[in-house]
Amino acid sequence: MLKRLFCALLLSPFLCFSFVGVAFAQGDHYRFVMVSHIGSNDPNMNWLTTSIKTFEEKYPDAKAEYLSTNEYSLQNFITILNQAIATHPDGIAIPILNSEALQPILDKAVKDGIPVVAFNISDPRPQEQRIHYLTYVGGDEYLTGLKLGQYVIEQVNAGKVPKPTKILCANHDATHQGLKARSRGMTEAMKKIGVPVDELIIGADPAKARSVMQSYLSTHKDVNYIFCLGTLSVPWAYSVADEMGLKPKLSDKGLTIVGVDDSPNSLEGIKEGKVLASHSQGFWLQGYLPMEVLYFYKKMGMSPLNDIITGPIVINESNVDAWIKIVKGIIGEEAYKKQITW
Amino acid sequence: MHRFFRRTDIGILIGCIFIFILFSLWNHDQWFNWYTFTSISRYTAILGLLAIGQTFVILIREIDLSVGSVYGVVGITFISLEHQLSVPLSAFLALLFALTIGLINAVIVIHGRLSSMIVTLGGLFFYRGLVYVSTHGGVSGPPREARLDWFNQLLGGHWFRVENGFLLLLLIALLSGVLLYHMPFGNHLLALGGNSASAESQGVPVNRVRTWAFMICSLFAGLSAIATLANDPQTSVSLGTGLELESIAAVVVGGTLLTGGRGTILGTVLGAFFFTAVRSEMIAFGAPPSWYTSFVGIALLLVVTLNTVLSKRLTAG
Repeated sequence: MLKRLFCALLLSPFLCFSFVGVAFAQGDHYRFVMVSHIGSNDPNMNWLTTSIKTFEEKYPDAKAEYLSTNEYSLQNFITILNQAIATHPDGIAIPILNSEALQPILDKAVKDGIPVVAFNISDPRPQEQRIHYLTYVGGDEYLTGLKLGQYVIEQVNAGKVPKPTKILCANHDATHQGLKARSRGMTEAMKKIGVPVDELIIGADPAKARSVMQSYLSTHKDVNYIFCLGTLSVPWAYSVADEMGLKPKLSDKGLTIVGVDDSPNSLEGIKEGKVLASHSQGFWLQGYLPMEVLYFYKKMGMSPLNDIITGPIVINESNVDAWIKIVKGIIGEEAYKKQITW
Repeated sequence: MHRFFRRTDIGILIGCIFIFILFSLWNHDQWFNWYTFTSISRYTAILGLLAIGQTFVILIREIDLSVGSVYGVVGITFISLEHQLSVPLSAFLALLFALTIGLINAVIVIHGRLSSMIVTLGGLFFYRGLVYVSTHGGVSGPPREARLDWFNQLLGGHWFRVENGFLLLLLIALLSGVLLYHMPFGNHLLALGGNSASAESQGVPVNRVRTWAFMICSLFAGLSAIATLANDPQTSVSLGTGLELESIAAVVVGGTLLTGGRGTILGTVLGAFFFTAVRSEMIAFGAPPSWYTSFVGIALLLVVTLNTVLSKRLTAG
């Protein structure tokens, strides 16, 4: 008898919690999941987690979860996506890392009544072929390369930086179609002034990336611009160029480095005159808006007809101080300092 | 002569002579360029140190898949400690951490009676995860005074234009060679790799030797990370990603048998040089660096086949 009572007492909290769970699911509450490739290995994660927290504070009847991979692996990304779908959330926000690989999974989720919003990376195919998501919220990676390329040309015309002879796009992740699009944008911008652009897969390990860049630059002496497609490789490119005597400090001579993102590394690089320009793709909005789109879709059946383009915004010496202030406000002074690797 | 051709590293010796002649003829200016030498020697040093450690483990018929992550976590520990402590003390504590990781690997493998492949695969994920969790994605560079510290200058600088990291590799290779072939520990290690039951029956302290092999492997991974960061302190949480497989490839191409008991440190160092030099030249020739991944597979098969064929034919004659 005592044994049974003891068992009942032991089980009672679990039974209570399971009823609470059922009551929560039946009420007018929503649970959205953001499945992301931007994990703890990427400083940009703070933008997304901070903005979805703001969303939760604004809409107390909604809960937003952030799931991410910590490495550049499509396979792992698909695994966590499948796990997220298995929990039947009220909506999913996801970057379209690879359209072909994600299409069958996401189209099935949509068919099963889970609305999907693409963020950060869109499906690059024509509207009728692309994954059936409600809308895309994010930067335009092609425009990122294009706008930064156009900015380079503006600065060349103003006599502030050397005219490009050849541009190297340093790519740390060969499977990321967004990085490829950035490279295409830069190539398109450079076509207008007849400058060739090369893309080099450098890998994510710093020592290997440096070794690859050094090998490339020692034989491609006509390269006088490096466009780092990821923020990680900006200081690596600078140190390699500096060591090889290519004079990467900004001036009208030598090698010029163009970065990406509003990360502390890129911002401090611009501030110190080591990086010509970088960009912001409006990361905060990319976390917040997909959740709001999903919320209003579930609540009222409304969704935007067009994609919501949040960037690029070119960051240069004229607005870098304002950006440093914004970034410090989001990630905190200490985290900002911690992320500077110069 | 027969004895020479019976060496397990004969394939990589021929491979290195072949690429040296090939690159000298094909791309003389690039090959004899100082930047090329610096670039190749720097990465050879990093990979070579990792691979020497891996050699000790493979010689006892085990494997360490965690070296890339150990390289990463020890490197990040070193750079983080530099903000609080002196550089030599940071390096000492980071290396102590590396030794502890090796000890943990050994204890789990020996006392848990688990396969080293499984244990170190767990380590590969655990230590990489530890880097992500502890850094939140950002790794700040060391303070300015730490970069100028004599210790970092010593490991990261140059001596008569030769990378100190490369000289460190040569020193470690020499010491490892002495340890393996001229000390009782080396005899025990090779005996254990050849036949563990027989070694145990002859009084070889099997568990102690295995423990030291894992500890040396982690220690050299840590040393490689510290040498890397002393030279190039701008790093990221991806430090060491994928290096475990490259280190194993360098050891195998260098002639060390995965079945244990036979192998050379010279072969391992040449294996690291071979992969680094070929990648550098492939990029110089304009081949996409992603081809390098396929090349590693082909080279692995070719050199191992060459090793086997040569040793069979020449010893038969």
